[in-house]
Amino acid sequence: MEEQDKFCDYLSGVNPVWCPGCGYYGILGALVEAFVDLKLPSKELALISGIGCASRLPYFVKSYGFHGIHGRALPIAQGVKIANPNLTVVTVGGDGDGLAIGGGHFPHVARNNVDLTYILFNNAIYGMTKGQFSPTTTLFSSTKTSPFGLTGEALNPSALAIVYGASFVARGFSVKKEQLKDLIMQGIRHPGFAFIEILSSCSSFNTTDMNVARLLKAIDTVPADHDPENPVEALRLAGDESKIHLGVLRRSSRPSLEDRFQEIEKKAQRGKSHGIDSLVRQFA
Amino acid sequence: MMHDFTLRVAGESGEGVITVGETVARIAAREGLQLVTFRTFPAEIKGGACMMQLRLSDQKISYHGEKVDCLVALNQAALDENFPDLKEQGVLLCEAECDVIEDGLSATVYKVPFERIAVREIGSRISKNIVVLGVLAELLAIPKPRVEEFLAEKFAKKSEAILDHNMQALEKGICFARENFSKREGFGFPPGKPERHLLMTGNEAIALGSAAAGVKCFFGYPITPASEIMEWLAVHLPRMGGKVLQTEDEISAICAVAGASWAGEKAMTATSGPGVSLMSEALGLLSIAEIPAVIVDSQRGGPSTGLPTKTEQSDLMLAIHGSHGDAPRVVIAPTSVSECITMMGAAFYFAEKYQMPVIVLVDQALSARVETVKPGIVEEIPKSSRLRAQAPAEGNFARYKLANSPVSPAAIPGTDGCEHMVTGMEHDEFGNFACDDETHTAMTVKRFRKLEEIEHDPLTQNLCQSIGEGRADIGVVTWGSSAGPVEEAIAEARRLGISVRGLVPKILNPLPHAQMKKFFSEVNRVIVPELNFTGQLASQLRATYRVPTISLTKIKGVPLEPSEIVAKIIEATDGLQQRSARRYGRAR
Repeated sequence: MEEQDKFCDYLSGVNPVWCPGCGYYGILGALVEAFVDLKLPSKELALISGIGCASRLPYFVKSYGFHGIHGRALPIAQGVKIANPNLTVVTVGGDGDGLAIGGGHFPHVARNNVDLTYILFNNAIYGMTKGQFSPTTTLFSSTKTSPFGLTGEALNPSALAIVYGASFVARGFSVKKEQLKDLIMQGIRHPGFAFIEILSSCSSFNTTDMNVARLLKAIDTVPADHDPENPVEALRLAGDESKIHLGVLRRSSRPSLEDRFQEIEKKAQRGKSHGIDSLVRQFA
Repeated sequence: MMHDFTLRVAGESGEGVITVGETVARIAAREGLQLVTFRTFPAEIKGGACMMQLRLSDQKISYHGEKVDCLVALNQAALDENFPDLKEQGVLLCEAECDVIEDGLSATVYKVPFERIAVREIGSRISKNIVVLGVLAELLAIPKPRVEEFLAEKFAKKSEAILDHNMQALEKGICFARENFSKREGFGFPPGKPERHLLMTGNEAIALGSAAAGVKCFFGYPITPASEIMEWLAVHLPRMGGKVLQTEDEISAICAVAGASWAGEKAMTATSGPGVSLMSEALGLLSIAEIPAVIVDSQRGGPSTGLPTKTEQSDLMLAIHGSHGDAPRVVIAPTSVSECITMMGAAFYFAEKYQMPVIVLVDQALSARVETVKPGIVEEIPKSSRLRAQAPAEGNFARYKLANSPVSPAAIPGTDGCEHMVTGMEHDEFGNFACDDETHTAMTVKRFRKLEEIEHDPLTQNLCQSIGEGRADIGVVTWGSSAGPVEEAIAEARRLGISVRGLVPKILNPLPHAQMKKFFSEVNRVIVPELNFTGQLASQLRATYRVPTISLTKIKGVPLEPSEIVAKIIEATDGLQQRSARRYGRAR
């Protein structure tokens, strides 16, 4: 079958190292299907990650992959996109990578509206280091490093993205693969910074916060009449504690960083490109 | 005979000290004179003591001078602070209200009511600096048309009235000097030369050199004393089609450099010690992932926030070793403003050719000092390029191919058929993570072999300056901006009849071993002057070459002075004489 062949075309041949039953397999599947449907050539695809279980994903996909350092996927991805705007840049990582150690970069890549897609795998636990709490673990949870109950409130990644000014914010669930594929495709097509939070279970270390059976009862699709252009409504849905809304929460249209750079170049050059000689002359 | 003149202007920040100094400097450069300057910065944003010193000559100089021929003190505090540095036969120009104890003083003292002239005769206090300039123009024989030409340019965008105002202030200053001072022959400016020099700071030179070397992406975070590099590039790089982005911190800056460089563009950042500390983890990433990157560290004083506006050379160990694990990188250190231009070319040359991070170590004094530079200098910048891969006929592309050369052809994203992983994990030839001991050993050796190749690179051979040749009692080894005072000190010690020579490695990792070893075999004692507490280069030399060294360290926030180095040389000579006396018995 042609479709399946194409799916295989995107696999690097390196097998995932994730635990059996990990929600990330579903995300990998949805991501590759999105690439297939978008007909993205592997050579123009840059997959950037930090450190953690989710950050291993680039090894498994045929693409130009960059497995960087903990928490720094977004700054690396930003550099890639700025240097070569023709690439499709997709950044993947976990909740610890993106919201704990890397939490300081997220707002800035969002407000700069760098044209890349940031997919945050939210399993509310540190899986790779085997079971310590993450910034999205539920308050009072008992983990290896919070044996008497967690003291900090959980962060809400989608709500943060909206507040940070991300021009596209969506939430998906690893077991809802069709919807997830659609959200990823929308995110990649979005001209600007696209953030996608994906809820996922951790079969080894967090079967409570992200318990699939519980989540299936708690989720709801974003209402059909939701206007993602309205940031207040978007934030209300993202922060709704009665239901977990899946779908596109926020969408706005504003110039990307690349658009800004083009404007800057125009302003600086005033119609003519300058050589080094003209720069030397100002020191005479 | 060499014409050599040193001027110092001192006062409160905001009094026009720097304007006066920079104007005199610009005119000297246009007159074809050689110039080295030094200035201090108060830690305060407004106010605080500051000074600018200019040494000018009709021949090559490499240091801003120790004692000054002429001191301009705009207030009492500036006078008290700077007076001890005035030469015995020097000229002091000070604000009329200052107290000067003239008893037994051999210097000439001129009290000038700078402020009163500005306020009463021009009607504006802010034109005081132009009055000072006028007085200096007359006293130092600065060609008046040059000063007028400069003021006309400076105020070109202001109204006619403002220019007129300043021309009047200049004239008042000149008249005051003419009426009250006696003429001194040969004091100040020597006759000009036909060629005009460029004039710029070390930071401007670094920025210009980077642009000339072809940098396309700059990412940085503001920090004293390196910010001007980003500020200059923010204005000028977009004119050449490059991009500059101020990131949220230094970690983001270096990581964006990694991303941009991997994507195929020449990329850099510039920071100071605190920034390099934050970047240390990413230095390891650049090293293991074999990504070219250029990092400028303009060193300041102390650990942590330390002394942000003072100079020091205390990041050498950080530059060579900072980051966990064995992570090779190149460290180079220019010694002058001119070298700040050419060595940015060297930085990109090494980074691109050997696919690894290159740290350029300068310091606050070099970053801020204004120096003359010859106009054709950008043509001396070496060309740099990265070895590019071709798609393999079959199978996957091996980004980290183990072969004779430790440098593997690189493929930039977008290249057909070369999809691959780069990673901070230990990896096999294809970039897939591999934690077995064989792979880790082979890959570590591959990465370190680059340093061996760099040691033998033709460019490296030019990155070690010998001061004098042959055998000598004393050898002085130094680095970075301390080279200037060392050069002067060696000349002075030779005048005193001491057998001494010097060596200035401008590449500090890898060290230019052949030249270093030859030097150590030719001198009896090694003195290592540097601006840090622990003697970081000295430690490095002892560890690498097992040579005993005599450290001369200084952490006063200002450059070494030649006299301090001469004193150390004399001290070492005494030691030598005593030792030879012990060995051969005393003469009877």
